[in-house]
Amino acid sequence: MDAARFEELVAAYGAAPRRWPEAERAAAEAFAETDAGQRMLAEARTLDAALEEARDAAPISLDLRRKMLASAPKPQAPPWRAVAALAACAVFGVALGVGGAQRMGDIRAADAALALMADTGEIY
Amino acid sequence: MHDPDAELMRRAGAGETSALNEIVRRHAERIVRVGRRMLGDPAEAEDVAQEVFLRVWKQAATWRTGEAKLATWMHRVTLNLCTDRLRRRREMPDPNAGLTLADPAAGAEEGLRAQDRSARVHAALAQLPERQRAAIALCYFEEVSNIEAADAMEVSVEALESLLSRARRTLRARLSDEAGNL
Repeated sequence: MDAARFEELVAAYGAAPRRWPEAERAAAEAFAETDAGQRMLAEARTLDAALEEARDAAPISLDLRRKMLASAPKPQAPPWRAVAALAACAVFGVALGVGGAQRMGDIRAADAALALMADTGEIY
Repeated sequence: MHDPDAELMRRAGAGETSALNEIVRRHAERIVRVGRRMLGDPAEAEDVAQEVFLRVWKQAATWRTGEAKLATWMHRVTLNLCTDRLRRRREMPDPNAGLTLADPAAGAEEGLRAQDRSARVHAALAQLPERQRAAIALCYFEEVSNIEAADAMEVSVEALESLLSRARRTLRARLSDEAGNL
């Protein structure tokens, strides 16, 4: 790290080492200990302090957080719930089928009885 | 490249509530601040932030790690949305648009002076060219690393440094009347 590069760094990133590029930070911190480094830092600190006056610390509202989350993906049902739902459908379908078949059987028996009665002349 | 949000995005893609909340907690305030800095209008910044999160959620289920960190990608989307709005403003100027300054309602004289100083710095920042303002917003105020800021702005690190240097030089010149020897 020479004076020219240190000057470029401070001109771009300011006086705080945490903002300096990570790859050059250690070398820049060493140069910062020199008299030339201290002079350059002092100039940069003045602007840094002025910029701090414009730091935006206003929190965001709960309403905005809600709006951000409103468009988020909806929770997916766990797989066991899908299987359970399928099984419930199957059971319902079988029950419906068995019940229907029984009713059909009853209807067929009634039809047969009516036909017999008609044949024997009990109904006209 | 390690992305501390990669696992969160996977869970968010499945709609896991805790992951969604955590992504909002980690990123929302910063995205709104960058939007405010770029647009100078809190309401517009909130609209942009909502749009950014809408895009995050759309990406969550298919998020591919290794291409860009979520934070960097969100910064890029934010800056692009702000650029679109600034372009529209130039094409159709709104007489009511502009920098929203601090409320000068506080009574104490020192408070007023501080607000005045703050307003002047805000104004100087707002007058910077858009790219310089973005560089200052990311690197100075949000303390994003130079590599990530350059990536978000889709420029080289050298170009980012140039933007930052020019921005600071301009700010120093504009504020020198206020503080003597900036």
